[in-house]
Amino acid sequence: MNVALVKTLTATSSSTTTDASTRLVVMSEDHWERVLWKQQSFPDNYVPPSFLSSLTKNPNFRPYTYWPLMLGACAITQHLSTIFIFLSVFVRLLDCTFDPRLLVFISAAMFVAGYALWELLECTQGGWLASSDRRAKAVKASILVFLALMALAPVLRTLTAATSSDSIWALSACLLILNAALADYSSAARGVGARERLTSVLSINAAISAAVVLASRLQDDLSVFALVLFAVQLFALFPLLRYRLQDAPSSIQLGSTLTLAAFSVVIAAPLSATVASLFATALGSTTFLAPAVLLWAQQYKNEIRGPWDAATPRVHS
Amino acid sequence: MANSPLSIAMISDFFHPNVGGVENHIYMLSVNLLRRGHKVIVITHSYPPDRVGVRWLLPGLKVYYIPFTTLVSSATLPDFLTFLPYFRNIILRERITLIHAHASLSALGHEGILHAHLLGVRTVFTDHSLFGFADAASILTNKLLEATMRTVGATICVSHTGRENTVLRANLAPEDVYVIPNSLIADQFLPAATPLTSDTVTIVVVSRLAYRKGVDLLVAAAPRICAACPNVRFVVGGDGPKLIDLLQMREKYFLQDRIELLGPVLHRDVPKVLTRGAIFLNTSLTEAFGTAILEAACAGLYIVSTRVGGVPEILPEDMISFALPTEDDIFRAIVEAIDIVQHGKHDPHRAHERIRGFYDWKQVAVRTEKVYRAVMDSPPQNLWTRIERTMGLGPFVGPIFTIILAVDCLFFMCLEYWYPREDIDYVDKQWGKHRFEEVLET
Repeated sequence: MNVALVKTLTATSSSTTTDASTRLVVMSEDHWERVLWKQQSFPDNYVPPSFLSSLTKNPNFRPYTYWPLMLGACAITQHLSTIFIFLSVFVRLLDCTFDPRLLVFISAAMFVAGYALWELLECTQGGWLASSDRRAKAVKASILVFLALMALAPVLRTLTAATSSDSIWALSACLLILNAALADYSSAARGVGARERLTSVLSINAAISAAVVLASRLQDDLSVFALVLFAVQLFALFPLLRYRLQDAPSSIQLGSTLTLAAFSVVIAAPLSATVASLFATALGSTTFLAPAVLLWAQQYKNEIRGPWDAATPRVHS
Repeated sequence: MANSPLSIAMISDFFHPNVGGVENHIYMLSVNLLRRGHKVIVITHSYPPDRVGVRWLLPGLKVYYIPFTTLVSSATLPDFLTFLPYFRNIILRERITLIHAHASLSALGHEGILHAHLLGVRTVFTDHSLFGFADAASILTNKLLEATMRTVGATICVSHTGRENTVLRANLAPEDVYVIPNSLIADQFLPAATPLTSDTVTIVVVSRLAYRKGVDLLVAAAPRICAACPNVRFVVGGDGPKLIDLLQMREKYFLQDRIELLGPVLHRDVPKVLTRGAIFLNTSLTEAFGTAILEAACAGLYIVSTRVGGVPEILPEDMISFALPTEDDIFRAIVEAIDIVQHGKHDPHRAHERIRGFYDWKQVAVRTEKVYRAVMDSPPQNLWTRIERTMGLGPFVGPIFTIILAVDCLFFMCLEYWYPREDIDYVDKQWGKHRFEEVLET
């Protein structure tokens, strides 16, 4: 609700009470009741002193504190960092200043390291047993994705040959913004079953589409394959790991955020100092400024509750 | 001048042949105003397939069905301008002096209030429902309501809770908002002539089976009540998306012989359903007035209801038991109510007589007429005041609605030029009070 309206509302309700109390003296001393079934001696537009007395404001008000908010913002920073890293890698591949074979090896190494970390988390949370079947499935799926991407690479390379590069830049920018806006930033402990949400699926789709259209600008099949594989690592698998890591101690969260953010700025710096400083500003403001703004904006929170609100039914499920 | 008859046009998207609280309110109020010697017409949109044009409803209520298509749940598209040609023609030819718009989701009503000042007609608005403040739909409709209410003469709400809600939503001065409750025809809801057998207690529920009516609470509480009180039966009338939940519950707990589901019930059959029971259960999560509760109380049932909205205002405490909107509390209240009914502490015929004394449509008409008189006696706003008040809506909405107001004025001037007032076919043969009595009272 907007601020101006709430202020006027507050003013109306307080002035009403004073008006009403003066009016009460003028009216007869007969007792007014808040009922409809009784014919009362008061006019129909009589404003009783109890008018709006059941109005409550911000009943479930919980003031935020800075550090938990900043820790929550770390997930967003990490996601933005991965997008920036992806963009830097793409520009290097486009300029042919980066060997695509190296990128394939890095992706494979990332996958193995990430999977090991995942297993470690699984182990500490007690799900180690009865999962060899699941592990076999994971290996099979990863090999399938690997081969499918390899087979599709020539098709993807010429996919948008008829489209101008300007359209591709605009399209991929939109898709990546969509990805960042719809991504699931909740943690495993707080957002139960959140991974199945539609927005999260849309977010992954947008990112992979962006990777595909960008990859179609590259020169050779191997680069296309490397970039899409890298995108799958960053946008499909890393969010899963991040979702689990959200519950890790704050030192690990802060450490990983700082590493990712620093890395994204460092690899962007040789390409363009302007872009690197823009990245750094975006990451810094997301992490430090945005929580402070939310904290400041909370003073304007004004939620109005009263007997007219629909009740929430409580049943034993 | 003080007692001269008024020419009133009721405007709403919701009217007969649809049935519901607003529709019934408009009809009953119009008929009772006719009885008091006023001239009343109703303006609403057309109802497919063939209800379009001018119709007369018994006893002599003229209804204009404007050929507009509906957008969703029988409301028209709020486009602010297209109603003006019809409106101008009808208001002029019927020589209307006051319009009374109903329901805050009725686009026709809002438009009527917007156009009224062009013809020097005064305005009254009745709000029939409660809205929240937090969700997007409420924020938008509340802004629309606030914009319309900037220029309305007076507002009527159906309960004190509704009044507080409307004052907050539309940012009105509380003195300009009146509380006039709905009413009912007591003769249509007579208690059962023969007393019900005392060994079984029947609980009646008549409601649209939707989330807002608290059907989840009923689904959770009914099996517990059936288990705890072996002499209790349920009769549930109504249709809606939650009917399936009730059916599942009935099957899960093998209660087919204890819970009777009637499906959709016509309004004229409701008294018959009500008189089958001794207790009426209402589990609504929000309710502006609760006409269904009143009808059940009039038919001699003891009421158990959630304490929401305007429900606590409509009946004295000894005719109704309140519960919190929780499964446990509904269960507690029902068990208490069964005890009250079984020990004969609730006399249906006495309850009926009391309700008859509480509510009367004639009284509603008298009280509404007072509001009309107050509006007619108050000085009208001139165009500049209107513009200033509309601009005061806010930095963003203010200019939008001021532009609408200006375009409306220009459109009206064009209409005055295209269809001069001399060419309008005026209605000069009136249905006077004597004619009305001739038809109704003989």
